[in-house]
Amino acid sequence: MARKQILVLLLFVLFILQGTVFFWLTPSSLQLQIYPNFVLVCLFFVSIYYHRHTGLVLGLLFGMLHDIVYYGEMIGTYSFAMGVSAYLVGLVFKSPRAPLPMMMTIVILGSLLFDSTLFGIYKVFRLNPTSYNWSLLHHMLPNLLVHFAFALAIYVPLRKQIELVTKNQKRKAT
Amino acid sequence: MFIMLIGLVAFIAIMGFTLGPRASLSWPEKFVKDTVGFVQSVFYKPAAYIAGFFEDVRNMKAIYEENEELRRAVAQYSRESANYNNMKANYEALKDELHFTENQKNRDKYEYRTAQVLSVNSDPNNRTLVIDLGERDGVRPNMSVTTVDGMVGIISNVSNFTSTVKLLTTMDAQDPNPQPISVTAIGKEDKTFGVVESYDEKTNTLLMTRISEDDPIKEKDKIISSGAGGVIPQGMIIGKVLSVQTSQYGQSRTATIEPAAKFDDWKYLTVVITPEEPE
Repeated sequence: MARKQILVLLLFVLFILQGTVFFWLTPSSLQLQIYPNFVLVCLFFVSIYYHRHTGLVLGLLFGMLHDIVYYGEMIGTYSFAMGVSAYLVGLVFKSPRAPLPMMMTIVILGSLLFDSTLFGIYKVFRLNPTSYNWSLLHHMLPNLLVHFAFALAIYVPLRKQIELVTKNQKRKAT
Repeated sequence: MFIMLIGLVAFIAIMGFTLGPRASLSWPEKFVKDTVGFVQSVFYKPAAYIAGFFEDVRNMKAIYEENEELRRAVAQYSRESANYNNMKANYEALKDELHFTENQKNRDKYEYRTAQVLSVNSDPNNRTLVIDLGERDGVRPNMSVTTVDGMVGIISNVSNFTSTVKLLTTMDAQDPNPQPISVTAIGKEDKTFGVVESYDEKTNTLLMTRISEDDPIKEKDKIISSGAGGVIPQGMIIGKVLSVQTSQYGQSRTATIEPAAKFDDWKYLTVVITPEEPE
């Protein structure tokens, strides 16, 4: 089945959309505050319902894509942060049958983990003059709400697709 | 565990290696940038048109007033351009008389290229834009990028057909590759001097430092780049002075500047192409 490949392609389309169309849907007053990473939210689903290694590899790949396309100061930050947060989420919550409330908690924790990792890396390289508390209040929390809403919207279709992929693989194996 | 450790070290190495100033990108980076840039242009333009249409409908009333204002501005412009041409001719003649070298003569001949924004990264740690002009169009790293309102950033990296713009909002005095802009005030070009090197995200203002005690700078002065230092061309509009303070060490003063450019709703930008300096 080519379902897997199509899903990865859709992920790429999502990556394109979040830098282009989504930016235009954001009101001007919020454009300086939120920086949603929808690909990451999808990767949490992959890590939980499929396998954390797939989440890690896709996180590294899409993070690297982001790093190269939006190369401002250095390469590797998004790749590292996305890979690690997708992997850790899968490692800590090993529950392929996670219900909706649990998945939402995972998205919230994972999104905070991702933003904090990014913040930490930029802080270590002294590229970030703001304090963590301020950043949390003005960037990470608004961002979290957007991630949460997006996760709610895609929960049903994405989970179904991933489960279909898993089922197909099991059938092939037997 | 061991693999993780190696991964961590590899990432730190990549980040450290790509952090410093780099002359140009490697070919895989260029390839990825150009390919993604092409796909992005397919999506960004229609979205910008649709969003722009709704905004146009909203702005319909303001257009009449704006038109009147522009008419006045054009009248003033044509008066001033006659004056400008006259002065320019004088200036060129004087340069000839003083035996300026070709290189010196060409230094302030800038070319302005309009670029379309392809996509936006609004991550506050690393605010960048991708535009549709690249190496093939003569764009090089460290060129200035401006909107009609004022300067918005500098080119950080260039691939064949696209380039990345690092916005002024990421400016920071502690940055490992600082990009200070030497500035002056309109009308006080020979008396005012300062350096803009950091942006405060909390108040959305720029900080101008190293202003001497006897500087005539005051509130509402318009701040432009002075061209000293050579990287940022002369005459880029930076912003307006909000307040002037004595700096914490008391030896000099600092000024808070409201940026002229608004850092949202990106559509078109202008890249200032400076003449190539022979190495």
